[in-house]
Amino acid sequence: MSVVAFERKPVTGAWSESELNTIVTALNAALAPATGREWETGTTENGDAQFYLLGSLPDQACELCLSRIGRRYILEDGSGRLLFEHRNLDLVVLHARAAVPSTSWLMVRMITVWCAVRSVFHEKLEPMLAETEELLVQLAPQLAAFA
Amino acid sequence: MKRVKHQDVFAERLPGKPAPEAKQLRKLAGDWLKLRRADAELSQADLAARLGLKYYTFISQVENGFSRVPTEIMGAWASELGLEPAPFARHLLMYYEPELYRLLFGAESK
Repeated sequence: MSVVAFERKPVTGAWSESELNTIVTALNAALAPATGREWETGTTENGDAQFYLLGSLPDQACELCLSRIGRRYILEDGSGRLLFEHRNLDLVVLHARAAVPSTSWLMVRMITVWCAVRSVFHEKLEPMLAETEELLVQLAPQLAAFA
Repeated sequence: MKRVKHQDVFAERLPGKPAPEAKQLRKLAGDWLKLRRADAELSQADLAARLGLKYYTFISQVENGFSRVPTEIMGAWASELGLEPAPFARHLLMYYEPELYRLLFGAESK
């Protein structure tokens, strides 16, 4: 029995709706409105699809670029550094998600909460403690005299 | 008077703040790079191979105006296009850092 190898037709052209959905869903957190990030698509001169994750205004420089060449997905940063490549888009978008600078949202929230707690402590709790301490200093000799 | 001229320059835009049209200027730089590459009769794949890049996707990224030509390969990029590195870098600076370009070379030297 002879096996005939079928050559897979190379995939070119713009992103399919399902591909774009996969990418945008994976980068959902990175694309939250608070981050100021946006995304755009384009093509190479050969018609290979490209997805650009852009930083916030005013510079809007490319932070990540995901391209499809043939059936291979290529992940690069904004300086052209190759971060990952694979035929499986799900795997590539996982790497894309991990590669996005993610200090923003959660970190900012945590720092804000910490500052608020500290501020409350300084404003409310510290004067109370100082007052108690002062009271103790005044009462201690009298208590000692009774004892 | 020179001093007044400098003050005028600074009055146009706050120093240290990136220009709001940075994206459009990068696009213009990309268009210029595309033309220079066409003059050199190179494809994006050819140029990428000559620059030692595994894929030509970064060339496209730059030419589409989403990224800049990195400083460390600017000289090689110019050479592969058959251009002198210094004027090449100076021309790109005009798009990438217009304020710095204006301060260094003045508006009239475009």
